[in-house]
Amino acid sequence: MNALRRHRVLNAIWGAPTGWRGTVVSVNHSDIGKRFVIAAFVFFAIGGVLAMMIRAQLATPGSAFVGPDIYNQLFTMHGSIMMFLFAIPMFEGLALYMLPKMLGSRDMAFPRLSAYGWWCYLFGGTILIASMVFGVAPDGGWFMYTPLSSKAYTPGINADVWLLGITFVEISAIAAAIEIAVSVLKLRAPGMRLDRMPLFAWYLLITALMMIVAFPPLILGSILLEVERAFDWPFFDPTRGGSPLLWQHLFWLFGHPEVYIIFLPAAGVISTVLPVLARTRILGYGWIVAALLSLAFLSFGLWVHHMFTTGIPHMALGFFSAASALVALPTAVQVFAWIGTLWNGRPELKLPMLYLLGFFVIFVIGGMTGVMLAMVPFDLQAHDTHFVVAHLHYVLIGGFIFPMLAGAYYWLPHFTGRTRDDLLGKASFWLIFIGFNVTFFMMHLTGLLGMRRRVHTYPEEAGWTLLNLVSSVGSFVMAFGFALFAIDVALHLYYARRRRRNPWTAGTLEWAMPIPTPAYNIASLPTVTDREPMTQSPALATALARGEGYLGEPRDGWRETMAVETTTGAIDHIVVLPGNTCLPIVTAAVTGCFFLCLLAGHYWLSLLPVAGVVALGLRWAWVLDWRQDLGPLPIGRGEVAPIHREAVGAPGWWGSAFLLVADGTALASLLFGYAFLWVIAPNWPPPERIEGGLAAALVAAAAGLAGCLFTRRCLAEGANGLSAPASRMALSATAAQLVTILALVTLGITALPAPQEHAYAAGSWALLAYALLHAAIALLCAGFGRIRITAGHVSPRRTLDLRVARLFGDYSAATLAIVLVCLLAPAVAA
Amino acid sequence: MSLLARISAGLLLWAFGFSLLYAMQGTGCAYGWADVALFGTTLLRGILVATWLVLVAACLALLRLVRSASSDFENRVTLATTLAGAGAMLVTGSPVALTSACA
Repeated sequence: MNALRRHRVLNAIWGAPTGWRGTVVSVNHSDIGKRFVIAAFVFFAIGGVLAMMIRAQLATPGSAFVGPDIYNQLFTMHGSIMMFLFAIPMFEGLALYMLPKMLGSRDMAFPRLSAYGWWCYLFGGTILIASMVFGVAPDGGWFMYTPLSSKAYTPGINADVWLLGITFVEISAIAAAIEIAVSVLKLRAPGMRLDRMPLFAWYLLITALMMIVAFPPLILGSILLEVERAFDWPFFDPTRGGSPLLWQHLFWLFGHPEVYIIFLPAAGVISTVLPVLARTRILGYGWIVAALLSLAFLSFGLWVHHMFTTGIPHMALGFFSAASALVALPTAVQVFAWIGTLWNGRPELKLPMLYLLGFFVIFVIGGMTGVMLAMVPFDLQAHDTHFVVAHLHYVLIGGFIFPMLAGAYYWLPHFTGRTRDDLLGKASFWLIFIGFNVTFFMMHLTGLLGMRRRVHTYPEEAGWTLLNLVSSVGSFVMAFGFALFAIDVALHLYYARRRRRNPWTAGTLEWAMPIPTPAYNIASLPTVTDREPMTQSPALATALARGEGYLGEPRDGWRETMAVETTTGAIDHIVVLPGNTCLPIVTAAVTGCFFLCLLAGHYWLSLLPVAGVVALGLRWAWVLDWRQDLGPLPIGRGEVAPIHREAVGAPGWWGSAFLLVADGTALASLLFGYAFLWVIAPNWPPPERIEGGLAAALVAAAAGLAGCLFTRRCLAEGANGLSAPASRMALSATAAQLVTILALVTLGITALPAPQEHAYAAGSWALLAYALLHAAIALLCAGFGRIRITAGHVSPRRTLDLRVARLFGDYSAATLAIVLVCLLAPAVAA
Repeated sequence: MSLLARISAGLLLWAFGFSLLYAMQGTGCAYGWADVALFGTTLLRGILVATWLVLVAACLALLRLVRSASSDFENRVTLATTLAGAGAMLVTGSPVALTSACA
C-alpha cells in the first residue's frame, strides 16, 4: 500500500462525516480538543467583558454604573468563568488535541468519554451563562462561602445555578483527567519509556492525577450544600451542629491544588517551547520531574492558608504557613531549569519567546507576593484586600495565560498548516503585558491602602481614586491586546502562508505528521529511542508516512493504536477504539436534564434522567462487542500483539481504577467532614444518636462481603472458561448486592434520626447514601457481567467486563465496611 | 507503575505524616489533651513531638531504602523526591515544637 492510499484509507476510518452530523457524532480527539479550545476562548472573552465592567464600576468613586446586586453577579461570574469554564477546559482542550500526537498515538484512550466531557462542559457552561441573561447568576463569590450561599441568605436559585452548573462541568474535568492519565500511561508509541516521554506529558500526567484527587472534595461539598439548600440537611448550619468552616475546608481542599492544576500544564508548555526556541535540550529533565511531583504533593498541604483569619490555632497555622512557603522551592527549581536552558542554548527572540519572557517577569512577582501572603502576620493584614486580587492575577495570568499564548503561537501552525509574520502578535503582546502590569500592580497598592475585595464602590476620601482609575485604564489596554490576539489568529486562519511540517525544527513527535494533521495523526507508529525522536531521526516523518512503523496496514476498518507497558514502553497490546457515535451527546443531554430537574426543584422527576443515564451507560458498555477470540495479531515489523479485550492491562480497567481513586477521595472527604463536625463544630454532641440497627448492619455487611466474593469467583470461573458457573456467580453477586441495599435502607429507616435534626444525622445519612449508591453500582456491574457471559462476550481470554465488575465489587464491599463502622461507632461510644 | 510508586514514596509518606499531625492536633485540642501535664510539657505536645520525630526518622529510613533503583533517571528522581519529602516533613512538622497548640 503506498502512502497516498494509506492516507485515504486511514482518513476514512478515523474521520467524521461532514456537516452537522459530523459535529454531533465525532469522537476524534483533534475535533474535541479544538472545540474545547475555541469554546474556552469564547468563555474567556465573556469573563473578560465582565472584568471590564468591574473595572468600569471601580474606575471612579461612588460610581452608578452598576448596583451592588449586579456587581455581586459580575465578580462571581468572572471568577467562576475564568476558573471553571476557561482555564481548566483550555488546558484540557490542548491536552486532548496534542497529547496523542506527542505520544505517537492515534487518539486518546476513551474517545467517547472525551466527547461526553465536551458536551457536559458545553451544556453546563451554557446553563451558567444563561443564568446571567435571566438575571439569576450566582452572586456569592466564586468560592460560595456559607452561610452567605445558604438558603437563609440566598433564597433564590443563584447559588443552585453555581452548585449544579459547576458540578456538571466538573464531570467533564474528571472525565478528562481519567482520559489523560490513562492515555499517558498506556497509549504511547512503542519504546517510549517514562523517562523518554516529552516533559509536557509528565506535566499533564501529574496534573491529571491531581485533578482526580482534588476535584472530588469540591463535588462532594457542592452536593452537600445543594442537599442542605434543597432538603434542609444542616451540614453547614452551626445552630444544628454544622459548620460554615467545613465548606471552606472542602472548597480549598480543591481550590488550592486547582491553582497548580492550572499552572502545571502551562509550565509544561514552557518546558516544551522554551528549549526549541533556545535551540537546545531542556536542562535537568529528571530534576524537573522531581520538582513537579513535589509541587503536586505539597500543593495539597496549603489549603488552610486561605483560612488563616478564621481563628485556627497557631500550630495549625504553622503547619500550613510552612508548607505554603516550602512550595516555592520546587517552583524555583523549574524556573532555574528554564533559565539554565536559556543560558545553555542560543535563544531566538521569536514571538512565543516574547510571551515566555513576559511570563518570567510576571510569574516571579506573583510568586514573591505569594510567599508574602504565606506569612501569617502579613496575611492577617492583607487578607480579603485587593493585594490578594493582584497576587492571584499575577500568578494565574502570569503562570497560565502568558505561557498559553506562547503555546498558541508555537502550535498555531500545527492547527492550521500556516505561518504568519509576528507584527500583530508583538503588538498584542506589548498591549497585554503593559496593560496587565498597569492594572494589577496598582491593585497591590490599593490593597495595601486597605481597599477590600468585592466592594462595589468606595468613597472619594478613601484616597484610592487615582490608583483605581489607572488600574481601569490598564485593564482596557489589556483588553485591546487580547482583541488584537484574536484578530491575529483569525487572520492566521485565512491569510497566512502554507507551511510544510515542523516549522520550528522541533524534536517532539507532534511535528512528525503533516500539518494540519489528518484525523488519524500518523500513518504508522514509531519506535521511540530518544526524548526527541525528530532530532534523532529527521527523516522519521517520511518513514512513518510510508508505513514503516507499527500498524501501518489498516485492518477491517478498525481504529487501532498501540498500548505499552506503563514504565518500560514495551509493546503490550493493540487498542481498538470505538468509532463515531451519538451516545456521548445523548448521554450528556440526559445528564443535563438531571441537573435541570434539580435546578427547577423537581426532585422526583430527576430520577427519570438518572434511569436514562444508567440505561445509556449500559448501552455504552454493551456496544463494545467482541464475541470471538482473535489471538495475537500482526502489528508490522514482524511482531504480533493481542487486542485490548484479550489483554490484562487494558485501558478500560485503568480508567475504572482511576475513577475509583476519585470516588475514594470523595469518600475520604466525606469522612473528613464527618470527623471535622464531631470534633470542631458547635452544638455537639447530637441530641439523638443511632439506636439499634445492629442486625440490619450485620446483614448488610454479610451481603456486601458475599457480593464481593461472588464477583471474584465469577471472574475466576470466567477465566477458566466455565461459563455456566460464572453466570451463576454473577447472578448470586447481583442478588447479594440487592440484599445489601435492602438492609441499608432498613438500617437508615429504623435506626437513624431524621437528617434535618442535626448535622450528625445528616452526615450519617450522607454516609449511608454513599454506601447505597455503591452497592447499586456493584449490582449493575454484576448484573451486566451475567448478561455478557450469557451473550458470549466472555471467554478465558476476554475477561475485561468481569475484571471491571470485580473492581467495583471490591470497592463497594470496602466502603460498606468503613461506612458501617462510622455509623455504628457513636452507638458504641454512647 | 512501580516506578511511579517508588518516585512518589517519600512524598506520600510526607502527605500521610502531615495529615496525621493535623488530625492529631485538632483531636487533641478538642479532647483536652493540651490540659494534661506530662514531664514538664503537655500530653498533646508530647504526643505530637514524638509523632513528628518518628515521621522524620521514617523519612530518613526511606531515604536509605530507595537508593538502589534500576536506572539513573529513577535513582535521581527518587532521591530528589524522597529528600523533598523528608525536608518537608522536618519543616512543616516543626510547629509542633514551636507554637501554641490550641490557641
